[in-house]
Amino acid sequence: MAKKESLFRSADMTLTQLYVANEIGREVVSALGELGAMQFRDLNPNTTAFQRTFTQEIRRLDNVERQLNYFRTQIEKNGIEMRPIYEFSNTMAAPTATEIDELADRSQSLEQRIQSLNESYETLKKRESELTEWRWVLREAGGFFDRARGQTEEIRQSLESTDDAPLLRDVEQQANGASEGGQQQSFSVMNIGFVAGVIPRERMGAFERILWRTLRGNLYMNQSEIADPIIDPEKNEEVNKNVFVIFAHGKEIIAKIRKISESLGADIYSVDENSELRRDQIHEVNSRLQDLSNVLGNTKRTLDAELTQIGRSLAAWLIVVKKEKSVYQTLNRFSYDPARKTLVAEAWCPTNMLGLVKSTLQDVNERAGLSVPTIVNQIKTTKTPPTYNKTNRFTLGFQTIIDAYGTAKYQEVNPGLPTIVTFPFLFAVMFGDFGHGAIMTMAAAAMIYWEKPLQRGKQDELFGMAFYGRYIMLMMGIYSMYTGIIYCDAFSKELSLFPSMWQWDFPDNYNPDDPTTVKATRVEGYTYPFGLDWRWHDASNDLLFSNSYKMKLSILLGWAHMTYSLCLSYINARFFKTPIDIWGNFIPGMIFFQGIFGYLVFAIIFKWSTDWYAIGENPPSLLNMLIYMFLQPGTISDDVRLYSGQGGVQVVLVLLAVSMVPVMLFLKPFYLRYEHNKARAQGYRGIGETTTVSALEDDDEPRTSGGDGQPNGRASFESDMDGGAVITQALGDSEHEEFEFSEVMIHQVIHTIEFCLNCVSHTASYLRLWALSLAHQQLSKVLWDMTLNNAFGFDGPLGIFMIFCFFAVWFALTIAVLVVMEGTSAMLHSLRLHWVEAMSKHFIGDGVTFEPFSFKIMLEDEMTELK
Amino acid sequence: MANGWSLLVSILFIAVFCGVSWFASPKGENQTIWRSTLILSAFACWLMWIITFLAQWHPLIVPERDNLRPQYQNGPVKPTRRF
Repeated sequence: MAKKESLFRSADMTLTQLYVANEIGREVVSALGELGAMQFRDLNPNTTAFQRTFTQEIRRLDNVERQLNYFRTQIEKNGIEMRPIYEFSNTMAAPTATEIDELADRSQSLEQRIQSLNESYETLKKRESELTEWRWVLREAGGFFDRARGQTEEIRQSLESTDDAPLLRDVEQQANGASEGGQQQSFSVMNIGFVAGVIPRERMGAFERILWRTLRGNLYMNQSEIADPIIDPEKNEEVNKNVFVIFAHGKEIIAKIRKISESLGADIYSVDENSELRRDQIHEVNSRLQDLSNVLGNTKRTLDAELTQIGRSLAAWLIVVKKEKSVYQTLNRFSYDPARKTLVAEAWCPTNMLGLVKSTLQDVNERAGLSVPTIVNQIKTTKTPPTYNKTNRFTLGFQTIIDAYGTAKYQEVNPGLPTIVTFPFLFAVMFGDFGHGAIMTMAAAAMIYWEKPLQRGKQDELFGMAFYGRYIMLMMGIYSMYTGIIYCDAFSKELSLFPSMWQWDFPDNYNPDDPTTVKATRVEGYTYPFGLDWRWHDASNDLLFSNSYKMKLSILLGWAHMTYSLCLSYINARFFKTPIDIWGNFIPGMIFFQGIFGYLVFAIIFKWSTDWYAIGENPPSLLNMLIYMFLQPGTISDDVRLYSGQGGVQVVLVLLAVSMVPVMLFLKPFYLRYEHNKARAQGYRGIGETTTVSALEDDDEPRTSGGDGQPNGRASFESDMDGGAVITQALGDSEHEEFEFSEVMIHQVIHTIEFCLNCVSHTASYLRLWALSLAHQQLSKVLWDMTLNNAFGFDGPLGIFMIFCFFAVWFALTIAVLVVMEGTSAMLHSLRLHWVEAMSKHFIGDGVTFEPFSFKIMLEDEMTELK
Repeated sequence: MANGWSLLVSILFIAVFCGVSWFASPKGENQTIWRSTLILSAFACWLMWIITFLAQWHPLIVPERDNLRPQYQNGPVKPTRRF
């Protein structure tokens, strides 16, 4: 069974060596990338990224990728539809080198074209906004001039009225004669210049203040807001702007104003004073705007057409380039043998995929028409292979739960397999409600039914998580429905599936209006066949019964789960052929655990199975029994008596459990020391202790040779390589550790203390099953009473309305609080029970995940944004 | 209907179910997953059932109610002509 690829343990892995002719290196790697079965080791770990063989190619592809990304941003910016990645499934085959070259050339020329189009479009756009601004200035400034002309007198007076504004005094003399001319009087005659322009609205305040301060108030300023926001072509955002016209006296001041306004980001436009000329200007601007918008439209259309054309195949190009880049990145991990013009690669590969790999390579060779075959060698090594648990859609989520905690050691029992059941089941024990379980099942079933479209759509983070765990949710929902039936709960209401085992025994003079406590009597010889009797629902002593039941349920389930997990450590010890782990850890641990908690489980079941009232005895208290088992071993008081001879049994169990502690503490370390010393005495040495590192273990070579073997570990290897192939890198860093007794002892002490304490604390930890299930049930009861139950008090049309409203509230809260929130919390608790309580019993961990070079995985990671 | 014999019957039933799951699981690389999942969930469900059954087999307390109407004798009131 271990040979078969299953979730039970990691697939068998083999280290393979490939000899690939240089000419077809790219094709070979590309085919292997499609296959996705090999994890290539880096054979040049000391070479920096820049010194590697194919850095040039990668650089070139980086450039192409950048260009393609540029197209994508342009396409997104212009709001053009891109053909989705899923329509290209048939073009996924590896491209030829010429295709790549073509693509590179094409994207180069396309980039130039798009860039020039963009540039001209932007210049035109800028010109357009300038013209628009100018038009606004002309329009608004006209108004100012007309108004200002009527007020020239006023302006002059206002400037005159202050003594410290003598600037206009000479103007006054000059203008005096003309002032009678009234309306016809021109500003130039008054020697008043002006500056007109446009400035962003939020700068207006600062602009005014600065002007006022620098010119000491020697100006007259008019401004008005432009109604429509003006589009800034560079940033592509709308800006609100104001038109301003500033009148001032003297060339210097005008120049100063110009400088200030330019430095504040204002655009200054020339406006003619003369209204006739101004009208001509407006006409001219309008016609130029007209022309410009025609040209703009054409440019935009060309750009859009070009981008649409690109968008049709952009996704495919991106895939091709990304694949090609990853091929060269992988090729960079190979070592090149210049003498033979071959590339040498080393890769981990699942053993049962080797045949497929070989046939793929043969295919590539034949297609290339090369006479030199690609050689695939299997290498024996002492290196620990990466862990590869092959998953499918269903098991992926469960395996992720385990991998989130740690990667299993190569070929140890993978807890992912039982987790498929135990995780959702323990969840369901806490979430037990038929109705809530049904909602969860339906949600999960919907996600599975519409799997494909949902996978392709964009998912937000929360939904993405639920979607990833849709099969977990399905199992959780189904088990919750089961436990809901067992708990006899559906949306906090009872499920009366079978006739009850209880009957209400009404007293003769029972008055329904003034009810007294009614006790039930049992139907003789009948036990409710499936789940909890629904008569307990709404009974006043319901909690008394269900608490005791659920507490014991938690202990029993916890005991079963932990015993199961502990047994997995036995399978591990058997598989890794370390019997000392069985004798020194598993058996004493099991006896310790069963001696205390197995006995508790026995007592619980014994107490349940005995009809205490029928034999006329008081039911014993199990809690006291367990406490006094340790405090007063051997003495059994009446309130804890289960059966005769109990005292003796308990003393034996306690002694057995306690005596297992020293066994656990000392057996394994001392045995290991004994083994080590024996091996030493016979002349064995650890491989790591020798001066030369024999990297590749050779079966023919006697291991006794130890340090005095070859001066170079490679020599032994070349013999089976048929004429000396190059091993590019010694498989190096020996994984054998030196034996250190103190370290082993400390490790074992920690393990023993942890195990014994954890037996107690972990059993107690399973009580969370009871606590959460109680909380869930009570919460759903409260919700029912607070919402829908109230609505039933109303009658007639109001009743209908109230039921409708309260149902909406009840249903929304049921989904949000009871299913989503409570579900999340129960899931976290179940997660903890697996990671801590169960996996601590057997999980070794410290494995390395198998990360095959696969286009599929790479594209899934990188292309999420292309959806 | 249900008494002590149910325990035995249920154990037999589960054993048969596990046996069938073991042999009837679809062959192929997912066989282990089928077997493990079916048997483990059958066992888990059975454990849950038998714990609940045992807890009610010889109950130490009886349900009590102090707000009961005699109509409730035969379970929740069934829908009447009002609806």
